[in-house]
Amino acid sequence: MSLIKLEDVSKLYGFGDATTLALDEVNLAIDKGEFVAVMGPSGCGKSTLLNIMGLLDRPTHGTYRLQNRLVDRLSQNRAAKLRRDTIGFIFQSYNLLPKLTVLENVALPLAYKGVGVTKRVKLASQILERVGMQNREYFFPNQLSGGQIQCAAIARALVNDPSIIIADEPTGNLDSAGSRLVMELLSEIHKMGNTIIFVTHNPELTKYATRVVYMHDGMIIEDETTSIGEVAKTAKRRMYSLPKKTAEDDLAGVSLLMKVVPDKTEVPSSSGQAKSKQANSTKRKRRYMKAKRQK
Amino acid sequence: MSLRSGHIHTAIATMRTNRWRSVLTMFGITVGVASVIVIIGISQGVKNEITNQVYAFSKNVITVTSKAANLTNFGVSQVPTVSTLTNQDVTSIGKIKGVTASVPMIIESGLVTGDKTLHGGIVIATSSELPSVLNQSLAFGSFFTSEDISSYPAVLGYNASVGLFKENVPLGFSFNWRGQPFIVNGVLNGFRVTPFSNNTLYNNAVFIPSQAAKQLDPGGGSLFQILARVDNSKDLNKVGGEITAALIKNHGGQKNFSVLLPSQVAKNNTGILNLLTELTIGIALISLFVGGVGIMNVMLVSVAERIHEIGIRKAIGASNRQVMSQFLVEATTVSVTGGLIGILLALLADLVLKLVTNLSPSISWEIIVIGAAISMLIGIVFGSIPAIRAASKEPIEALRNE
Ligand SMILES: Nc1ncnc2c1ncn2[C@@H]1O[C@H](COP(=O)(O)OP(=O)(O)O)[C@@H](O)[C@H]1O
Ligand SMILES: [Mg+2]
Repeated sequence: MSLIKLEDVSKLYGFGDATTLALDEVNLAIDKGEFVAVMGPSGCGKSTLLNIMGLLDRPTHGTYRLQNRLVDRLSQNRAAKLRRDTIGFIFQSYNLLPKLTVLENVALPLAYKGVGVTKRVKLASQILERVGMQNREYFFPNQLSGGQIQCAAIARALVNDPSIIIADEPTGNLDSAGSRLVMELLSEIHKMGNTIIFVTHNPELTKYATRVVYMHDGMIIEDETTSIGEVAKTAKRRMYSLPKKTAEDDLAGVSLLMKVVPDKTEVPSSSGQAKSKQANSTKRKRRYMKAKRQK
Repeated sequence: MSLRSGHIHTAIATMRTNRWRSVLTMFGITVGVASVIVIIGISQGVKNEITNQVYAFSKNVITVTSKAANLTNFGVSQVPTVSTLTNQDVTSIGKIKGVTASVPMIIESGLVTGDKTLHGGIVIATSSELPSVLNQSLAFGSFFTSEDISSYPAVLGYNASVGLFKENVPLGFSFNWRGQPFIVNGVLNGFRVTPFSNNTLYNNAVFIPSQAAKQLDPGGGSLFQILARVDNSKDLNKVGGEITAALIKNHGGQKNFSVLLPSQVAKNNTGILNLLTELTIGIALISLFVGGVGIMNVMLVSVAERIHEIGIRKAIGASNRQVMSQFLVEATTVSVTGGLIGILLALLADLVLKLVTNLSPSISWEIIVIGAAISMLIGIVFGSIPAIRAASKEPIEALRNE
């Protein structure tokens, strides 16, 4: 029995001619204890997938089972409760509340759960110690470095003891030191038995994952099981097929991998299945939009 | 509960960061609450004074006037010229059992000249029994008695004494009225000036014996009041009825006068006061309503500005109700703070009024509690629409909004 099970999940945005198919009949099952990296070019639907899995968003079509419970049509309040108890979020832009101290930020999910002040502060303090932030409890987010803020955000995600951690580009705004700090932390949390799903553009970071899912145009085009400590094969291959780094890219600070757009020639032969699926994608997209228009 | 205190904490922090906006938002509530409390306080204070008989007359005095509500209808400048009361009425009232004194109050015209000519003063012809119905002592000298009428004695109101003479204690001094010198026999202490009373009139009056007035002004002045003293307060109602009956008989069956028991005098005046109070409170309530709309407006802006924050809170597990309660608490914090400032302002105004004017507003703790409750209610009522709006945001839409 999978912890997370998506069946034919599609997500459409917009109306009429402006319709975007952000997820295209995605099927994905994630077991407890997996450490899943989601990769793919910008706009391919990674965030949409994570938001749906994290109950922040609902699929347009398809079903989502979380802990064997159908959750794709939950009311806002039920979703909020389930989210609070089972899912911890980590965002690229940290999303700590700027007017609260680190400690208050971390304690906030406990407040929504109804935990009393004293216990709240104690628990938040403990978690902050676990992420190495015990000396920064009374700092405000703007007094910390990116890596430190993200550590606090991880503490906040952990404080309710969720079984699933969802992290959308947690290292996207961090330098390499910050990235390592955050990934080591996630890795530790994974060892404690948590299931982690994270998005990254950095192939190096697949070292931490047990599984790598590649997306393109709203579809999963490859799904690779890897061992911890090794860069995933597909990721590695893509890393080497990158266009040369230019000074302009550096100036713009653009992540190089954002530019990797797999086309027919680039898609590895080993994933023939994915290739054919991709060929069909345009056709299917048209069908969706037509159906949508007819409604 | 603990979450709510967190909300209050957040609300205060938000108010601090948007200090000016909060101050302006509170303003309406502050003004509304302050004015409601001050108005109620003043009106209550005046009512207290009236009912406590802070009056020119003692208790147990029945006032007969020539017209209903006449008591408040004239000031110094407006002397009633025609009266329906007659000297015969004075005598009739004096004969009624239970009445121990029947005192005429006659306004006379004519200049009064001592060291100076009295301006804005008035001559009241009365009987030597006036002190027994007056609720006031003499500062100097004594009132005239029935024996010394032949020597043309007079008693001055406190201001009249100052207006006529340079001397502080003008006992034995004389002034002229209608060509006759009068000797000052005494000076009354000042009557406390209270709303709806004739005390200003009495402070400016020159009291002379009615017999002397009759001699010098055969046409007679205007008998505007007859004061009947009743010794036993239990008899007040009965005597009042008898006075009415006697006067109707005197007036050929016409009831062109009014007989007011002490309690009715107070009621007569508080009636007008109540109307005025209600009117002004109505206006203050409009201010409170406008204040409430202001809060709603600002809360809607605040919700719009903080959609991203709402998204974060929802992402980490806040339910719709918890988000709603946050914004409700915020609206209520603003309105209650405004209300509390209003209460403080009202207390301050109360103090200033007591020092500067002769009003003595009475602000009871009930009014304060009501003021606080009203401001809280306004926060809840006008905060609920923005709060519901905040709560119903889809988490992902809210998160995308930076
Ligand atoms: N709220 C939205 N409205 C319309 N289109 C959206 C919205 N969110 C995402 N999309 C579209 O859906 C696709 C997938 O977006 P996203 O999941 O954010 O991609 P990724 O995270 O992989 O960069 C993109 O084409 C994007 O433009
Ligand atoms: Mg994204």
